[in-house]
Amino acid sequence: MRPLRPLHALLLLIALLAAPTFAQAQLYQVPGPSSPTTREQVPLYVPQDDKVIGRVSIPDEKLAVLVQPEGREWREFRTHTLRLVIGGLAIAVTVILVAFYLYRGTIRIHDGLSGRLVLRFNGLDRFAHWTTAVSFLLMALTGVVLTYGRPLLIPLLGHQAFTTLAETSKSIHNFVSVPFVVGLLMIIALWLRDNIPEKADWTWIKSAGGLFSKAGGHHPEAGRFNAGQKGVFWGVVLGGMAMAATGYLMMVPFAVSGIGGMQILHVIHGLMAALLIAVVIGHIYIGTIGMEGAFDAMGSGEVDENWAIEHHRRWYKEQLRKGYVEDRQPAE
Amino acid sequence: MARMKFLCDSERCIECNACVTACKNEHEVPWGINRRRLVTLNDGKPGERSISMACMHCNDPPCAAVCPVDCFLQTADGVVLHSKDLCIGCGYCFYACPFGAPQYPRTTDFGSRGKMDKCTFCAGGPEPDGSVEEYQKYGANRLAEGKLPLCAEMCSTRALMAGDGAVLADIYQERSLRRGYGSGAPGWSTAYGRNDRGSPFAPGGPATGGG
Amino acid sequence: MLVKRSSGKTSRGGLARSLAGSLDSGVSRRGFLRRSGLAAGGIAAVGALPGAMIRKAEAGPVLPNVEVVTRKNVCTHCSVGCTVIAEVQNGVWVGQEPGWESPINQGTHCAKGASVRELTRGTRRVKYPLKLVDGAWQRIGWDQAIEEIGNQLLEIRKASGPDAVFWLGSAKFSNEGAYLYRKLAAFWGTNNVDHQARICHSTTVAGVANTWGYGAMTNSYNDIQNSKALVIVGGNPAEAHPVSMQHMLRGKEHNRAPFIVIDPRFTRTAAHATEYVRIRPGTDIPIAWGLLWHIFENGWEDKEYIRQRVYGMDEIRAEVKKWNPDEVERVTGAPGSQLRRVAEALAKNKPSTVIWCMGVTQHTVGTANVRALSILQLALGNIGVAGGGANIYRGHCNVQGATDFGLDVSTLPAYYGLAEGAWKHFSRVWDVEYDYLKGRFGSKELMEAKGIPTTRWFDAVLAQPGQIDQPSPLRAMMCFGHGGNTVTRMPDMVKGLEKLSLLVVADPHPTTFAAIKERRNGTYILPTCTQFETDGSRTCSNRSMQWGEKVVEPIFESKDDYTIIYLLARKLGFAEPMFKHITVEDTRPVPEDILREMNRGCLAIGATGQSPERLKLHMKHQADFDKITMRATSGPCAGDYYGLPWPSWGHPELKHPGSAVLYDTSRHVMDGGGVFRARFGVERNGVSLLADGSYSKGSEIEDGYPEFTMAVLRKLGWDKDLTAEEMRVIQAIGGKDIDTVSWQTDLSMGIIRVALKHGCVPHGNAKARAVAWNLPDPVPVHREPIYSPRPDLVKAYPAIEDRRDFRLVQLARSLQFRVADSDLRQKFPMVLTSGRLVEYEGGGEETRSNPWLAELQQSMFAEVNSADAERLGIKDGAWVWVYGPEDGSKAKMRALVTERVGSGTVFMPFHFSGFWRGDSLRGNYPPDTDPIVLGEPANGVTTYGYDPVTFMQETKVTLCRVEPA
Repeated sequence: MRPLRPLHALLLLIALLAAPTFAQAQLYQVPGPSSPTTREQVPLYVPQDDKVIGRVSIPDEKLAVLVQPEGREWREFRTHTLRLVIGGLAIAVTVILVAFYLYRGTIRIHDGLSGRLVLRFNGLDRFAHWTTAVSFLLMALTGVVLTYGRPLLIPLLGHQAFTTLAETSKSIHNFVSVPFVVGLLMIIALWLRDNIPEKADWTWIKSAGGLFSKAGGHHPEAGRFNAGQKGVFWGVVLGGMAMAATGYLMMVPFAVSGIGGMQILHVIHGLMAALLIAVVIGHIYIGTIGMEGAFDAMGSGEVDENWAIEHHRRWYKEQLRKGYVEDRQPAE
Repeated sequence: MARMKFLCDSERCIECNACVTACKNEHEVPWGINRRRLVTLNDGKPGERSISMACMHCNDPPCAAVCPVDCFLQTADGVVLHSKDLCIGCGYCFYACPFGAPQYPRTTDFGSRGKMDKCTFCAGGPEPDGSVEEYQKYGANRLAEGKLPLCAEMCSTRALMAGDGAVLADIYQERSLRRGYGSGAPGWSTAYGRNDRGSPFAPGGPATGGG
Repeated sequence: MLVKRSSGKTSRGGLARSLAGSLDSGVSRRGFLRRSGLAAGGIAAVGALPGAMIRKAEAGPVLPNVEVVTRKNVCTHCSVGCTVIAEVQNGVWVGQEPGWESPINQGTHCAKGASVRELTRGTRRVKYPLKLVDGAWQRIGWDQAIEEIGNQLLEIRKASGPDAVFWLGSAKFSNEGAYLYRKLAAFWGTNNVDHQARICHSTTVAGVANTWGYGAMTNSYNDIQNSKALVIVGGNPAEAHPVSMQHMLRGKEHNRAPFIVIDPRFTRTAAHATEYVRIRPGTDIPIAWGLLWHIFENGWEDKEYIRQRVYGMDEIRAEVKKWNPDEVERVTGAPGSQLRRVAEALAKNKPSTVIWCMGVTQHTVGTANVRALSILQLALGNIGVAGGGANIYRGHCNVQGATDFGLDVSTLPAYYGLAEGAWKHFSRVWDVEYDYLKGRFGSKELMEAKGIPTTRWFDAVLAQPGQIDQPSPLRAMMCFGHGGNTVTRMPDMVKGLEKLSLLVVADPHPTTFAAIKERRNGTYILPTCTQFETDGSRTCSNRSMQWGEKVVEPIFESKDDYTIIYLLARKLGFAEPMFKHITVEDTRPVPEDILREMNRGCLAIGATGQSPERLKLHMKHQADFDKITMRATSGPCAGDYYGLPWPSWGHPELKHPGSAVLYDTSRHVMDGGGVFRARFGVERNGVSLLADGSYSKGSEIEDGYPEFTMAVLRKLGWDKDLTAEEMRVIQAIGGKDIDTVSWQTDLSMGIIRVALKHGCVPHGNAKARAVAWNLPDPVPVHREPIYSPRPDLVKAYPAIEDRRDFRLVQLARSLQFRVADSDLRQKFPMVLTSGRLVEYEGGGEETRSNPWLAELQQSMFAEVNSADAERLGIKDGAWVWVYGPEDGSKAKMRALVTERVGSGTVFMPFHFSGFWRGDSLRGNYPPDTDPIVLGEPANGVTTYGYDPVTFMQETKVTLCRVEPA
């Protein structure tokens, strides 16, 4: 296993138009002073490090590539690097979260449940979220099956059963991309303006969102979305778009690029997947056991007033101002 | 133990496409599937060379390494075969293959590109030798009949050779010595360079990698 | 990685074991390869492991438990003559195997050969007889087809005479089919019978026969392995004859022979050259003379050879003197220093061979081109020598045989010509009265006049009665196995086609003729099977005859050529005399009987020893033949050359081995030796034409001698050697004047037998003619093409004077001057030339219908040099229009931007058809018979220009303009 080879491969792949130099092509096929005189002098294994491209009479132009040594780098990426990156990141995040959980436990609502609910996400919001979320999870899961099934599942299921699983996974992976993209577009339409970075985000980031202030109640003020959520939003939107773009291009192979481009697409797709999976693990954690009251936002759509005040005070005030929430704050 | 290889002597190859057609004929390969193809380098210029290319049946096949469903197998003679029952048509083997050997019946991956198809060294597939099922999926199994790949057997100028690698190397070296030139066996360093020199080929050994 | 391998494991191990066993069992690997009969030149010659090593299992490719029958036939594409091994199950051709034993191809094939099995699946074949009624195709039965065609022919004959029908035969016929078709035309009463040789090597036949006696390749493909230097002029064997390249490359490699390619285009063959000379198209004579200039200048010629065996070389010297390196470079573009190198390579590495193909023949100076190259070889003393020779690569699988057996407007079978004596000879062979044959013709003059050639048939359709030297213009065309896009000037051809009242296409495929939309009635298509569905012999380029065995029964409703010819003859009312000595089984004449009749009559080329029995024996015992000499070293054919390359003198019982190398004096005539043919008299202007002190080994006459007649035999006192039976036949032929009976007409073959007995060659022993006084240019001179890209050279090197021949007017100089004086050169600034692709053949309908081949070349293209493309804004793969200078002609195709052609030159492959000026004609083909790939025909834009001797068309030089579409 040679680490960092994929980068090297990427560089190589980008330089696609390397001149088709085939080793030792003679001008004319004539014996000369350099003619071999012993069998050993006859070259058999000629090192081949550049892509060799010629001309074919068949319409399939990608077959004009005679030798593409870059496949070796891609193979290294596919069989080792990718598995390490996805698995490594996912496990690393999980480990950190477990450690964090042990350290911090579920972040409680400081003031306890008020019992009063504030509508945080309406039906459309939640539909968009869950469409994206479910399809993402399906794709992540099926992607993981395809990536890790061979070492992990074939020994358990056997080849035939795993092929059925893999084939199903592949179909799911391909078709579920459609709702994923739909969800993604809805999310953008619904939440883009609330996710524009602002000054307050910096404060939030500096205090790490108050995650480590065990005392609680010390949350930096945030609007509808805090900087962490914005991070997730942008990660999912940009990453998801990149995943979708590279994924669809891989579904119509060679439509817009040659073999080198296809390899690059796959590498991008894989690395983005690793990143997104890690982000989403964090997102899921914080949205479930990580924080009391957070799940309700996407569950019923209504959050406890105290939760809203603690985590999204500015948003809550705005809701108040707009009259979406009845002002029942006890007088101080 | 024979180690089956291909060797295309580019100083002999005249791009007559006999190998390609013989392959189509022997295995009834459908239109659009190019198990073997001719590539011309430096076309129209002095130094022009044509090379017949198909699956080279590598020592350490990248296709096998990257296959998510592990559908490849390598016979005792070093021939790389695959199981169409297992293949899910993902297309990864094409990305990994240095020689562009894997072929797919469909051009898009929505659903599936269909079962991958490639040169079998005229050795069929995992089904019982000579069975109708094997022929329908992979084409003829000449090796089981004691014959070699038809592309090489029919090559007009004896440029494309198939058979035990040691014999091919012998023929090529003697030929090059006699004529006084030879630019090497195309693709050999890529296909057989690993694990070929020094240590004898060990089929099914750890070299195939990829977990 | 999977490791499962159930049943396969054992057998794979089995092969490995058998391989290992064979290598360890005391037989060295090399010995093993040799023993297989494959390793002609040692291990290096072998590619794949030999067939003999294999262990044949009973498992067939498709049906595991059905018996596999193996049949042996010959590839129906080019003239190399590759053996095809067919595996047949239940009457279906299921598998093709390498014919390892064939001395010619030794198991190999090109793309076309490797695809022939598809022909008998024939998804795109014509399946039943068809008739065109008001533009729609109607299925009809065979009886109706023959009845209606016959009736119309008889009507035309009655109204316009027999010469109003043009009988176009095919180089795809077997020898027997070709002979029978020629006989059919003779019994019908016309010499308007031709075939593809007209458009491929008619100029070779004329040029070479007029130089040393016979119009054929002198040596063989295999013999090139003996060459110490090779020069290929106007040929691209890597695409046109790929299997020949194995012999050429072995020659190159084993002998480290210079391999020189002279061509306007950097071809696939040139890619393997040690020297490539790019020339301007149409300047072959200046090249030949330019080479000879260096040879004469340096005294490299073979002076003794010239003294003994060549007539008129001094006149050549005078002409060659004009072609100094500067002038050669000015005209051809080839630098003098390079030509000197080539000349030296040829002169100093002997024997050297000259190879040519259609780049030399298809010119307005085709015959002169051929003669110039022949003279080059004579000067070097390379003719009649193993490893030397003029290796002329014929085109179709049986174009040599079809030419030999008379599918030609100027001769009866075996080049007897059309004079009264020839007709009398064949009336004896056919056992009919001479007067009966004469009565079939319009007149005795027409009987002895050359017919209308296939390059000009449409001119003869469109001609007014006074413009043509026969009573009527052509009104009907019987087209057997001939593409419609293979002759130049297609716009005119289409007009001719439209005017024909009857067009019959007998072909496995409908061909371009059937797809031209201008015809709406009067076209019939007769489904004709391929040579794989019948049996018969075919002659390869090297004159070897090979017997092809029927692989499967004719598919669908198709019939073989013999049957169709018989059905027509029966309908036309002369089957009885025509098939007097040929058994007809049901309605199918037996090819063996036809060959026996040919053996009886074709004495002049020595096509007499090749009985069907001997040919079949050769096919059966192919393995016994040496792979270089082509001579059987053991077995029942021991001593024979493979396929009994003609001349195989005398009766089959005489067991003449055939002649692998023509005119080879180092061998006894009974051992395949020979001398130049005494065909043009014994002296001219007081100079002897007979050889001077040169004779074949063992000849009792140790000097030149004339051809053998009874008079000569009597003079020598050898007439005593004739048997009584032979004398009886000679007397019956000669009547009162038996002295005139010659070796060519003596049906007893006694004269031949006696000559051979005394070590003499029946055709006499003469000098080759460097000067052929009977030709328009006795000494070849350079003449610019009609559409010359160099108007500045036209006045110095003008075309031949306008003339009449072949019943038609031939324009030449007047047209050339008109072109040169016009502004055509500015309007059409590029030179257009044409050639072959390996995947397709001829008109291409058959090969473009074969999916295995069609996939490899899916669109018509024009090669344009990258500099021109840049200038014209043409991208590789983009659509372009190519405009021709006649008739506003144009064709749309893709551009292939490449360095293969030089700047200013455009190359087009000629195999495409089915598009016309940008429009697809797919809908005009009968249902399900349209070829998979269609494209614009190159001849849609080619122009006027004909060789004066044979009316060969000019396909290699014209002008064009290319524009992005």
